[in-house]
Amino acid sequence: METFQFGEEIQSLMSVVPPPEAGNSFTALLELPANQAVKLLHDETAPNTLSSSVFPVMETDNSLEMTSSIVPNSSPNNFNLVKEEPIDSESLRNSSPNPSDPIISKSTKRKEREKNVKSSMKKSKHVSNEDEGEELPYVHVRARRGQATDSHSLAERARREKINARMKLLQELVPGCNKISGTAMVLDEIINHVQSLQRQVEFLSMRLAAVHPNIDINLDNIFSAESGSLMECSFPAMVTPQPLSHQLWQPDGLTPQPLWGVEDMNTNFITPENSLLSYDSSGNSAENGIMKTWEF
Amino acid sequence: MYTSSKLKREFYKKWVKGLQICCSSKKKMDILERKKKIRLCADIALASAKNVTTSWSIALIYEAQKDDENKILVDNLIGPELRLKPQNTTRQMIACHKRVRSNKILKKSRHVGQRMRKKCPPKPNLATYIAKTLVKKRTRLLKTLVPGGESMDEYSLIKEALDYILSLRVQVDVMKSLVNATEVLNQSDSKIFE
Repeated sequence: METFQFGEEIQSLMSVVPPPEAGNSFTALLELPANQAVKLLHDETAPNTLSSSVFPVMETDNSLEMTSSIVPNSSPNNFNLVKEEPIDSESLRNSSPNPSDPIISKSTKRKEREKNVKSSMKKSKHVSNEDEGEELPYVHVRARRGQATDSHSLAERARREKINARMKLLQELVPGCNKISGTAMVLDEIINHVQSLQRQVEFLSMRLAAVHPNIDINLDNIFSAESGSLMECSFPAMVTPQPLSHQLWQPDGLTPQPLWGVEDMNTNFITPENSLLSYDSSGNSAENGIMKTWEF
Repeated sequence: MYTSSKLKREFYKKWVKGLQICCSSKKKMDILERKKKIRLCADIALASAKNVTTSWSIALIYEAQKDDENKILVDNLIGPELRLKPQNTTRQMIACHKRVRSNKILKKSRHVGQRMRKKCPPKPNLATYIAKTLVKKRTRLLKTLVPGGESMDEYSLIKEALDYILSLRVQVDVMKSLVNATEVLNQSDSKIFE
């Protein structure tokens, strides 16, 4: 169904004559020549295929470029490996970047390395002094051969790359996004994911409303030690990771009101706050009552 | 997908607390009202469970506060010191973003003319245009989904979306386990009373 919609959208757009836009936006990503854009988004291609056409200038720096562009997709462990890559004539003079933000600092490190390479290149533009930190506000960007060198496009390119890095993070977060290439479809997936999560919350709250005659959802009774099976059900659901994609809400209708006086017993007691993983064993008589019923 | 249990615990605590507050006010509520209250409490609890306040959480709380009857609930859940903050910061954020956007528009209009004269305009590429429009549509849609997303540029929108997705997952997990727990409780009790 989604591909069908895509086809319709594309057809409707094809009929419009496009005006040239100054893309100072997210979509400026797409101003890049197509192969570059694809290669920026595609990180799983092997190092060999990322040929020097993508990074045309750095013949010497090629190996470094390849590895640094692939790294963002991998875990922080591999980050250390890349750091130890043999660097010929240069040393990383930056302080070690914040490991919690490897991707964004990686792109700035790449640019730093570009700067250090001695080669005859077009003049570069230093935006400002770099400030290492969580969010790097200033980025040293160097013009690559064959690309415009005025400050606007450089700033735009830096911005685009920041956005790309974040998009990669999102791709890893949302299940099933790693295989997709192209900003539009990834965004599609993200939107679907957010919508499905919101819908799930809606349905679950409806279900809870159906189950509880009053909304004082008091779960002290769950923590009685005797009910082993109950613990196994609720706690694993809480603590272990769950594949969300498999858990669609089955619309099984509203559950009938339960015939249990247990709930009424609980509402009479104004119990103190319990965290879900602590036991309230201080002689709560509701619990004792329930424990007795379970001994049968 | 991993969701942090600490956040879950925080969220759950606040949620139950909020529900108890709701319960103490009225006695009889039909199912839709109950659902709304549950959802509301869950949202507010989610927004306040994080230590680091993100703009979507601030926006959520701000939205909830607009309703008069929810104010008491929000106050008790969040605490009085945070109550004033959302109103100021949201307005500031919106004003700031509008200013930023209007500045950008001014700048663009100034430079576009110069650039048109300097170099020939880029050839209108149909594929690029289509791709750009598609992406624009989707960013607009994402902006409507993420609370407080309208007044954000794309860069921070992605960050907010990331955060929001994580928190939504926490919410869903906690609610699911609660539903499971009550269902098992129902079953075991109905067996006993038979």
